[in-house]
Amino acid sequence: MTFPSAQTGAPPAVAPPAVELQSVAKRYGSGETAVRALDGVSIAFPPGTWTAVMGPSGSGKSTLLHCAAGLDRVTEGRVVLAGRDITHASERVLTDLRRRALGFVFQNFNLVGALTAEQNVALPPRLAGVRVGRQQIRAALEDVGLGDRGRHRPRELSGGQQQRVAIARAMVTRPAVLFADEPTGALDSRSARTVLGLMRRMVDGAGQCVVMVTHDPVAAAAADAVVFLRDGRLVDRLAGASAREVADRLATLEG
Amino acid sequence: MWRMSWSTFRERWTLFAGALLTVAFGVALVQASVMVTLGTGRPRIPAGTPAAEAARIRDAYEGVASLLGMTVMLSCFLAVFIVGSTFAFTVAQRRADLALLRTLGGSRRQVMTLLLAEAVILGLLGSLGGIALGVPFMWIQTWLLTGTGFVPDAFAPVWDNGVLIASVSVGIGMALSGSLAAALRAARVRPLEALRDIGGAARVMTFGRWLWGGTMLLATGAMVSAQGSVDFLGALMIALGVSLCGSVGLSALSPLVVPLAGHLLRPLARFGPLAELAQANLRDGRRRAAATAAPMIALVALLVGLTAMLGTQANAAGADVRRDILGQLVVTSTGADAERIASVPGVEAASTALTADIALTVTHREAPDERYRMTYQSGIVAIDPDAYQRTHRRRPVSGSLDALRGRAVVAGPGVAETGVRRGSSAVARIGDRTTTLKVVARMPATMENNSDAFLVPRDLLPPAAVASARAETVVKVAPGTPVAAVADRLRAARVGKVETVDRWVAARVAEQQEQNDGVMIVLMGLAAVYAVVAVINAMVIAGTERRREFAVARLTGLSRRQVVRSALLESCGVTLIGISLGLLVATAALGGFLFGPSGTEILAVPWRLIAALVAGAFAISALTSVLTTRAATRVPPVALAAARE
Repeated sequence: MTFPSAQTGAPPAVAPPAVELQSVAKRYGSGETAVRALDGVSIAFPPGTWTAVMGPSGSGKSTLLHCAAGLDRVTEGRVVLAGRDITHASERVLTDLRRRALGFVFQNFNLVGALTAEQNVALPPRLAGVRVGRQQIRAALEDVGLGDRGRHRPRELSGGQQQRVAIARAMVTRPAVLFADEPTGALDSRSARTVLGLMRRMVDGAGQCVVMVTHDPVAAAAADAVVFLRDGRLVDRLAGASAREVADRLATLEG
Repeated sequence: MWRMSWSTFRERWTLFAGALLTVAFGVALVQASVMVTLGTGRPRIPAGTPAAEAARIRDAYEGVASLLGMTVMLSCFLAVFIVGSTFAFTVAQRRADLALLRTLGGSRRQVMTLLLAEAVILGLLGSLGGIALGVPFMWIQTWLLTGTGFVPDAFAPVWDNGVLIASVSVGIGMALSGSLAAALRAARVRPLEALRDIGGAARVMTFGRWLWGGTMLLATGAMVSAQGSVDFLGALMIALGVSLCGSVGLSALSPLVVPLAGHLLRPLARFGPLAELAQANLRDGRRRAAATAAPMIALVALLVGLTAMLGTQANAAGADVRRDILGQLVVTSTGADAERIASVPGVEAASTALTADIALTVTHREAPDERYRMTYQSGIVAIDPDAYQRTHRRRPVSGSLDALRGRAVVAGPGVAETGVRRGSSAVARIGDRTTTLKVVARMPATMENNSDAFLVPRDLLPPAAVASARAETVVKVAPGTPVAAVADRLRAARVGKVETVDRWVAARVAEQQEQNDGVMIVLMGLAAVYAVVAVINAMVIAGTERRREFAVARLTGLSRRQVVRSALLESCGVTLIGISLGLLVATAALGGFLFGPSGTEILAVPWRLIAALVAGAFAISALTSVLTTRAATRVPPVALAAARE
């Protein structure tokens, strides 16, 4: 099953996808005990779109995210990321891509506890050897509403604030694709709404592509489209659905 | 990168404090032994000391220099080994952090740079601490040396400002070499590990570990097989080598061995859920167990291995001496009294060895074009070759003892390895007279420490010197005469101290054992303390890093007391593994002797030391485990279980 475009309307259809998976399969183990985590998945994520990936536990959604982001190698098929085939890319190429084209947001924030919010945000450009002014870092924090928290360490911030720092960190290099792994999973509903609002702004404002794995129908409904996985295969897709519709569809899959 | 190293450093200081401590202790140990060794290069001889006494003091200094050289070597090894194992552990604990760095765009090179930069900071700070700590260490080392009588009380270590530079270089070098392997391994951390807790546990047994462990065990095997018939110094070197290589090899392979041992402890799981948890943790936390067990393996292997090997070597040397003697009694007396022994009824043969107070200068040839002259003041004995051959089995490897007449000298076992040639000449100074002697024979080497250097004919000594010299006479009792009867007659004649040969040999062995104890104290005293500190250190790091795990265990329903008890059981398991592997290496250190001429009879197993070590190791690890677990469980579990790293 192929989903050439996950978006309804907004971006021009001619733009090449930011991420594309072509007939991707991923197996863990070998022989009798082999597990097919992904089984012939083809999907494209165009720029300026936000796609939520849903499915029951063990459906392969995290594996899909890892393979799409070049964190894990596929067993079969091809992965194209930011115009580059990364199926057999070297570690050096992948590192370079992570610096230029990718951002990550995790369920457990994954901020470096030793560094202040500002230092955390400045970390990716510094690792990439790019000089960024203090202004730019502060602006990134102001964008997520934390202009006054730059000197705080992660443990002095609430969960929602930490996730906003993580988003600022992911966006400071203006990556083409943001991969989010349960970004609202550890947040209360108000913080979750703020975070989802920030992600919407990135998609609409900066034309970035967001790929988000989630369990939360409310979060999924904030995306432009929702794709459903089961047993490593894409089984369904909804566009512009409400949280209730998403929840119903998920319940059907799990049932 | 530097700033980042520094912040990480400040943040996780508890983790680094342990690594820092090992570096500081290591630097202090190396620095102290180097300064003491420098001290032996400049013997302090009070003005007005007689020439013979001055020579004796100089000899003592020279002798102790080689022992201290070994101490320096051992200190360096132990420091690199312990720093390496501690660093590997601290890096392993930060795997998730490093994976995150990779996910955010950090390259492998940057991860390496980060870790090596940290190593430089640690090396620098550690060596500053080490320089300060090295001063009291130096005093202790000096005290050990004078206390065991290796050097006179006037001995003083040498402070050289170059030591400061050397210590800083040693500290940084140690930290860098210790962290290199860990940094290389960390550079291979996959970014995915930041998202999921995988990988780290999956492959603890890396190719490098296999290679390193295997090579070290092979080297150990090679050394063991070369061991059977070496002299004292050789035995010491081999015992050191076997203990060091064996410890490194087993420590590298310990991720393989630890789960195996965990399997052996399986029956424990029947004693309830706590034992089951401890046993499962032992198998699961392989890296943690390996880090704690490593210094324990080295400590037990070195202490037990060296002590057992030196003891066995002394026994073997004793057996060697016993085999050489064809008599039943040994009489210690003056030269004048010794002359009366042969005429006592029942004595078939009596051979007297007189301690000759002469100086001999000979030429050594250790290589074809490397020769130097050396003067001997001690280890020169005067004998009668005919009587000697009747009471001793050993014969020269070159020449004949029969030629030991007139101006002749035989190169004894003490110089067998130095290349004194038959036919070369030696200059003897007897009183104020100088004579040139010809080397007529060479005796084979023996295993005994301080064996005779030269044999000279008895008539070379002036009669007055013969009469007053210290004499040891081997007595062969005539067939059919009871040995005890002859001994009684000798005692009645008040010749001197009469002993059976067995007694006499035992006393010599005991004297050597006493000297061995001194060697062990000088060599291992501070090093053992270092290893103990390293064991405690690894356990403290492991304990504090497990706060969350303990919190989860308590939320699962364990009481604080039960968590402490389960961790205690686990640490006892690790201690058991460490001690067993250490004893395994120690046994290997003795292996070569099993196939020697004397078999298992000469094995000197230091049971008391082993018992003390086992008790001490369990006491220390139990106490450390209880204290750290209690400290780590002080905070209510909910706060910790929810906390983010």
